[in-house]
Amino acid sequence: MTPPAPLKLFRDEAQVETIQCLSCGGPIALHSFGARQRVVCPHCGSTLAPEDSGALALLEAASRKHQSSVLPLHARGKLDGTLWEIIGICWRRCVVDGVAYPWQEFLLFNPWHGVRWLIYSNSDGHWQLGQALDGAPQILKTRHHGVRFGKQRYKHFQGAIAVVTYVEGEFTWEVRVDDKAEINDFVAPPRGLSIEQSSGPDGVELNFTVARHIDAAEVWRAFQQPGKPPRSRGIGALRPNHWHRGRRSMWLSCLVFVAAWWLLSDRLAATRHPTIAFQRDNIGFDEPFAQEIKIGTPGETTAIEFTFAASPLDNAWAYADVLLVNLANDEAVGFGIEASYYHGIDGGESWHEGSSRTTHTVGGVAGGQYLLQLQPQRGGTGSTPTEYEVRVVQDVYLTRYSVLALTTILFFPLLAWLFGWLFERRRWNNSDYSS
Amino acid sequence: MQPGSRTDVSCPECGAPAPFRGTTVSLVCEYCSSTIVRTGLDFELLGKVSAILDNGSPIVLGAKATFDKIPFEVVGRLQLRHGRGTWNEWFLGFADNSVGWLSDAQGSYAITRPHEKSIVAGKVPPFSACVLGRALVVQGVSYVPVERRAATYQGAEGSLPFPAAPGDRFYSVDLRGHDGEFMTLDYGDRGDHQQPALYMGRAVDLIAIGLQPLRKFAGWERRA
Repeated sequence: MTPPAPLKLFRDEAQVETIQCLSCGGPIALHSFGARQRVVCPHCGSTLAPEDSGALALLEAASRKHQSSVLPLHARGKLDGTLWEIIGICWRRCVVDGVAYPWQEFLLFNPWHGVRWLIYSNSDGHWQLGQALDGAPQILKTRHHGVRFGKQRYKHFQGAIAVVTYVEGEFTWEVRVDDKAEINDFVAPPRGLSIEQSSGPDGVELNFTVARHIDAAEVWRAFQQPGKPPRSRGIGALRPNHWHRGRRSMWLSCLVFVAAWWLLSDRLAATRHPTIAFQRDNIGFDEPFAQEIKIGTPGETTAIEFTFAASPLDNAWAYADVLLVNLANDEAVGFGIEASYYHGIDGGESWHEGSSRTTHTVGGVAGGQYLLQLQPQRGGTGSTPTEYEVRVVQDVYLTRYSVLALTTILFFPLLAWLFGWLFERRRWNNSDYSS
Repeated sequence: MQPGSRTDVSCPECGAPAPFRGTTVSLVCEYCSSTIVRTGLDFELLGKVSAILDNGSPIVLGAKATFDKIPFEVVGRLQLRHGRGTWNEWFLGFADNSVGWLSDAQGSYAITRPHEKSIVAGKVPPFSACVLGRALVVQGVSYVPVERRAATYQGAEGSLPFPAAPGDRFYSVDLRGHDGEFMTLDYGDRGDHQQPALYMGRAVDLIAIGLQPLRKFAGWERRA
């Protein structure tokens, strides 16, 4: 006699089945292989629940009409390398400041990987892919309400009461139209974390979900939907800030450029040997000043720094029209220069502004003999100056070119920072923290 | 290679081989579904268990994988029922003769290992006073109660470390940490004390830990 074979439970292939709705009689395809707590007839909306024996029994009859969702029940698509099937669809919405924000949740199922949620926001057309958090987030006592899980921190974005408005298909929890839950969304784009609280038989029930932004085109491609997905508008809570893409490497290379700039300008400055070409103190204001001076080396150009200082300067000003005439070709460089110093007490606070000494830099000056001419003026309510001083220093280092180089280096990173900031401001304008 | 020592006994009901191991206290005969319980040196028959419901689990008895670098085999299953349906607790026999549980509820999986009761004795509230969302600190780590269940045994298969009679009621709380830690406080058949059995571990992905073989599902293909 051969012994009977062992029973070996569930070694056979699990099968899908189609049952008849116990209310409307319409066919209901069951694709979740038993991992279900609620089945809602797609045709009439009646709710079925498994009994102790596992057989489905009618829990609540309904007679609603079927409504089309943005993706159909039982559509399959590959996301993150795993094939998923939509086994349940749940519409929810929240109302903020009298405006309803509806969204559609698609319960994705894979017999070996469990479930995920694909969430479509009707109001802005953005998509999220979520799954249950493998843990509990830590509430952070930071200035901006936030949570942490693992190494990731999230900032509170918004809180609202979500209400279920439509369901169809199979669910791994006890879903019901009109179910309410308090949802708090935290963001760290492109990732987000949601805390959902609802009241259940054991008091408050908590559900933690992590999600990531997913492009509408990727969803459409994955589920092989015809045409184009509904247009996404606005920023969305989790859409990545493309101005922040490569932000780290950009600032890092910027840092390298600034360091190179620093070394180079230091080296260039060291090649300059500023010397005094001309200096005269104690010049009276009474008459124009003229003096022949030598600047630089003939045949070469140089940069000069012109200093004008008046004294005593006390709530007064001194001004001079300066003219440098090249004696070789009569070409002239002219500029005005002013030194002023004011001070006083305003509302108990003493203040002062200006300086008795002013400098003016001129680049590209051809070396040679020059006639320096000054036409001085003075004035003021305090002690007006009685004498002034001029000084011409040649072969100075022109910082303006190196400043220009620095501005060029910083321009694009600062621009990207500005646009990134504007992007985030638009995102947060849709949050509980809009300005 | 089977982990643990084996004792060869026969099912008192049908005479089929009943492979008891070191950690096995109760065994469901895979031929006749009778529960055989070890009492000291003797083995006695506890009667037939009720049928396990097919709740779509991809796990099967005899599947093998590795957790924290130690290989294990799924040697038994306890199916539990609470207010909102059933879930499975798979009993794991590790290669180093230690044991563990693989909890399997609606596509969410976690492996826990038993720890010293004294770690939590007197430091955690009784089952009835555990509030979901209110964190407990155990050994400096915060754990948030996320699930509180009063459950009955629906059925069993394979080897178990205790005799599980269908209908027995027991109380447990699942807690989760801020870095993925998972903890179960098992209050046994009474929820009014502060001496729960302690199980600690973490959430797992069945594919990631390499559990093989897995159940087959019509219409689904899995690349090896």
